[in-house]
Amino acid sequence: MADYLPSAAVQMTDETFRLLRDFIYEHSGIYFSDNKKSQLENRLSLRLRANNLPDFDKYYYMLKYDPQASKELRALFDSVTTNETSFFRSPPQIQAFQEKALPEIMERRAEKGEKILRLWSAGCSTGDEPYTMGIVIKEILSEKIKEWDIKIFASDISEKALKSARASTYNEYTLRSVPPEIKTKYFTQSGSQFTVCDEIRMLVELQYLNFNDTKRVKLMRGFDIIFCRNVLIYFDDDAKKRFVAQLYDNLNPGGYLFIGHSESLHNISRAFKLVHFPGALGYKKE
Amino acid sequence: MERPILEIIKNIEEIPTLPMVAMEVMTLSKSPDVSIKAISECIHRDPPLAAKVLKLANSAFYRRGTQEIDTLHRAILMMGLNEIINITTSVSVLSVLGTRDKGGESLRIKFWDHCVATGLIARHVDKKIRMKAQGREFVGGLLHDIGKIIFDEFFHEKFMEAHALSIQRKCSMFEAEKEVLGTTHMEVGHFIAQKWGLPPYIADINLYHHQPGNAKFKDITSLISIANLLAKAKELSCGGDSVSFVLKDQEAWHILRKMGYSMDVLDIERITFEIEDIGEEVKTYLSAVSEEPVAEGANG
Ligand SMILES: [Fe+2]
Ligand SMILES: [Fe+2]
Repeated sequence: MADYLPSAAVQMTDETFRLLRDFIYEHSGIYFSDNKKSQLENRLSLRLRANNLPDFDKYYYMLKYDPQASKELRALFDSVTTNETSFFRSPPQIQAFQEKALPEIMERRAEKGEKILRLWSAGCSTGDEPYTMGIVIKEILSEKIKEWDIKIFASDISEKALKSARASTYNEYTLRSVPPEIKTKYFTQSGSQFTVCDEIRMLVELQYLNFNDTKRVKLMRGFDIIFCRNVLIYFDDDAKKRFVAQLYDNLNPGGYLFIGHSESLHNISRAFKLVHFPGALGYKKE
Repeated sequence: MERPILEIIKNIEEIPTLPMVAMEVMTLSKSPDVSIKAISECIHRDPPLAAKVLKLANSAFYRRGTQEIDTLHRAILMMGLNEIINITTSVSVLSVLGTRDKGGESLRIKFWDHCVATGLIARHVDKKIRMKAQGREFVGGLLHDIGKIIFDEFFHEKFMEAHALSIQRKCSMFEAEKEVLGTTHMEVGHFIAQKWGLPPYIADINLYHHQPGNAKFKDITSLISIANLLAKAKELSCGGDSVSFVLKDQEAWHILRKMGYSMDVLDIERITFEIEDIGEEVKTYLSAVSEEPVAEGANG
């Protein structure tokens, strides 16, 4: 949606792209690969206008040298992650969740005779992510889901986002990556709106949570898998390190943390094992 | 009796050989004081080979300047003798094995995608850890799985069976090969590399890219071992099980670390993101080496 801008006149040179890419990676851990140059160009052209700057070079120098730039950083991060939520976004990551991480954890649990699963969608926004997780679990377990005690905690700091998550009703566009058979199976359609069915909603527990509320974050214990996508970018390095260390403690041994598809924890945590799945990365607590 | 298929392969007469001249270049390249003149004269004795080498040297993949490289001599001066030997090795092996898809079997295309990707990733990681393998890492990656092509060519049915088995059992290709064919693509690749007189490091990579601890050329074989995994993680794999792995737990990783390469400070995430769009470069390379008619008069 926001990727389209009518006649975005200002062009980004390859060199400026690399400078901005490295700057963004260093400050947020999000990496724009070469094929995402035009995406970055489109998204940042809004920031150029907002700051009344003639070109991307000037924008880069402002970020780098202007003491006021920390405010702009936040706006920049917002613009690079906009419209990032939608059901079944980033298929390789869901595939890793569905075909590798979940089966591995479920098998271990089943062996021990404790069929319990605790998942956390940290920063769940409008609910796309926790409901996707629920659908995937139902797809794996099918009728056997009754034998399991499953909870997907979904937290966000925005009451507005939580409200739409509760309504769990989405338009066609949000569901664009959902396979048709999944759509008919787990959503009820009314006009152009699609509502998540009850059996999936029942798995998800929505709640308000501020990640700065360390006491409450500490209480989020015993998770097998945590999704925390594009949340860390808003933290400075120290806060990031503390929060990720906390997430590590929140996980059970053998649990996984998934962050944004092009997000990195390099230099943030050495506690996790970085796992390469086909097309996606995951962080494992051993 | 033991390893019958490997024995059969050793005796199959139809197994192609490298062009004479290419074999001579390989031999020449092994001597430490090989001259530019000797190599360029040698390649010239096989005009189609010379033309192919020049074509690749001028392709989008290798070309650095804007000026066309019109003679081998110039190519060697501009790119260095090592790189010309690398290119000669690659084009002669690729022209014998054929990069084209045979009869619509998609596995062949996937195979070369995987091999080129492994070479490119090896080149990328080589730069990061400053191994300075001088292009050998690319050729090594490109030619690390040649045993699979021999299987596909001469034991197609059984090879497909092994492929299916590895998917079904979620085991590696070489385990499935061992069971169905009684030998592995590593042993066969090693045999072929030796038979063709390819540089010893290529034979070594073929035999040990899944067990780099046993390799003689430990550094480059470990590098290829890692690049092979990363290519699979990018889903540029020539079939078999879909892998997940921890890079830092790999034998290859430990070997390189022990050898003093700066593995501990490597930003693995970033490397993984950087190779995200490697598919494009794979295509560029494959179209540069594909067997379209080579321009006339390129053998000056
Ligand atoms: Fe292999
Ligand atoms: Fe391979």
